[in-house]
Amino acid sequence: MLEVLEALLFLAFDYAPALVFASLGAVLSERAGVVNVGVEGMMRAGAFAAAVGALVVPTPLGVVLGMLAGACLGAVHAYLCIRWRSEQVVSGMAINLVALAAGTFLLEALFAPTGTPPIAQLERWSLPLLKEVPIVRAASGHSALTYLALALPLAFHLALWRTAFGLRVRAAGEKPAAAETLGVSVSGVRYACVVGAGLLAGLGGATLSTSTLDRFEHHMPAGLGFMAVAAMVFGRWTPLGAFAASAFFSLGNALRIGVASSAPAVLQVVPQGFLLALPYALTLLVLGLQRRRGAAPAALGVPYDPETR
Amino acid sequence: MKHYRLNILLAALAVAGCKKSEPAQEQPRPAEPKKHAVGLVTDVGGRGDHSFNDSALRGLELWAAGVAFEGSAYKPVTREEVRRSLAEDVARLEPPVEPLGVRPLVVQSKAQEDYEPNLQLLVDQGAALTVGVGFMLENAVEAVARRNPGSKFLLIDSPLLDAKGNPVKLPNVRTVVFREEEGSFLVGALAGLVSKKQVGFVGGMEIPLIKKFEAGFKAGVKSTAPKTAVLSSYTGTFDNVAAGKQIAQDMLAKGVDVIFHAAGSDGLGVIQAVKEARSSGKEVYGIGVDSDQHHLAPEAMLTSMIKRVDLAVYQAARDLVEGKLAATDVVLGLKEGGVGYALVRAEFPGKAEALAKIEELRRRIVAGEIDVPSNSAELEAFQAAP
Repeated sequence: MLEVLEALLFLAFDYAPALVFASLGAVLSERAGVVNVGVEGMMRAGAFAAAVGALVVPTPLGVVLGMLAGACLGAVHAYLCIRWRSEQVVSGMAINLVALAAGTFLLEALFAPTGTPPIAQLERWSLPLLKEVPIVRAASGHSALTYLALALPLAFHLALWRTAFGLRVRAAGEKPAAAETLGVSVSGVRYACVVGAGLLAGLGGATLSTSTLDRFEHHMPAGLGFMAVAAMVFGRWTPLGAFAASAFFSLGNALRIGVASSAPAVLQVVPQGFLLALPYALTLLVLGLQRRRGAAPAALGVPYDPETR
Repeated sequence: MKHYRLNILLAALAVAGCKKSEPAQEQPRPAEPKKHAVGLVTDVGGRGDHSFNDSALRGLELWAAGVAFEGSAYKPVTREEVRRSLAEDVARLEPPVEPLGVRPLVVQSKAQEDYEPNLQLLVDQGAALTVGVGFMLENAVEAVARRNPGSKFLLIDSPLLDAKGNPVKLPNVRTVVFREEEGSFLVGALAGLVSKKQVGFVGGMEIPLIKKFEAGFKAGVKSTAPKTAVLSSYTGTFDNVAAGKQIAQDMLAKGVDVIFHAAGSDGLGVIQAVKEARSSGKEVYGIGVDSDQHHLAPEAMLTSMIKRVDLAVYQAARDLVEGKLAATDVVLGLKEGGVGYALVRAEFPGKAEALAKIEELRRRIVAGEIDVPSNSAELEAFQAAP
């Protein structure tokens, strides 16, 4: 029984980081008032750039390259949404499509159709004391990114609610005109946040190709970006909420896998497809139950135009 | 002006379109007699999948045509090189596998909608025989074969089925299916001998084809290690590496020490998990599928269940050249050399005895003494037997 629980926790620790980073990115962008459904595309760019980078430079540098690639797509999204006030959902979807096609094209042009050659995977940390204790040792044996994913949400929470910059970010998403009258550059804040969201989504993608696997595989991130957006909504647009939702989704996923191998009889009663759809169904439920707009920032999806009020 | 631009755009698109679907093709040499052209349409896995499609391409390009695809063109290889590429059991076959001088025409499919046009394209290019690789091409092969009664077709991994799923026959289509359960039985028997705790099976989509692997594998484990438990799980896809890895990690954490996968790309994740567990000091093994997957993780692979798609393609090409390509439904099992297991390169205590035991089981299956189950009902009967 203990080892079943341990397997479950270990899986969740391994699976969650990519989702945590990407959903934090989505929170950052949407808190500043820019809808970000392009997370999937930014993750794909990050995963690809990190794997290709890691073929020539050390893998941690490859991860940084992946983040930069995500940030580049974030910058495109920001430019379209802020400078040209385009429809933000359309821009996000366009980024997803471009990243899907460009990733496939580059992969085929440079390597094989199915994936890059293997790279040196990020080192897995074996924590000396932890690994002796049952259950708790599930936290040992992950890459540095897992521990970063545990620390980042709290730092993010403090930054958003305890610092002046955090206040400006939230103001840009709630009432940009008021922020502007107080001398905050709404465009500047939004640019920073959307590019930052790209960095985080890129990091999430890089996690997939350098930590989860040791190469870019042509289906990456296989819908995880949309799951990240769902986690953001489920977590009511807060960093800690998004973290909790990501952890919840990851645990649910680990539970599904654990049940399938340990207690196959359960799957005779509850079809596996139902369990696969559960995170999305829960997100729909949360969206359906909350009041109109609910926890979402008031100016979310509204391009800021200083001439209007 | 606008129209002018549009025209350029259309022309560019047309050129791009042609380029994409133009089959990679060897330059015909005028001095030689007319060669038979053999077409091949891959499924969406395509060239470089380390498994099913690559195996079919090997049968056509390297073995039947005696060429290697490098960069973007074919380069001839010597007979010696072809012979060296043959696994031991294939090299023993009579008549020997050697180049037939056919001309390969290969088209890769990017999407499911491509299958039918790609097959028709090859027929239009003059392919006397066109190979559809994978059960996903079943409908397309049937449709194109009906439309082109003068051309011959080979469908891998599925019989022709009508809308209700009943087998049908066409006078110009040969189909090949494999007894995957027999090969899986042997790797299962080996897993049972090597494992000290439990063994695991990871499948892709939960479909009858993959269930054959599971049934054979479980029966094999039972034959050598009746007390060893087999955990089994399905990813539900063939293209989610992360899912394969997670399932394997879950199994490894529960004490599984040998994992067999039949999960397409997801299997790469399974092998990845085994590789990581091994580098952290655990004595665990993976078993590959379809082609020899040893190169994916040299230390961690015990063996692979081999499905000789290459041989099926080669034999059809040879029958074509010899003018005796009949529209039969071929079933390839251990007896015919259609399935088997890859060379066991891993070292473990008692290896020689284990391999002797596996060879004995192979002999008994070929002789018909063991009836290997191919679905869960037969498996239950097999497990109930003493």
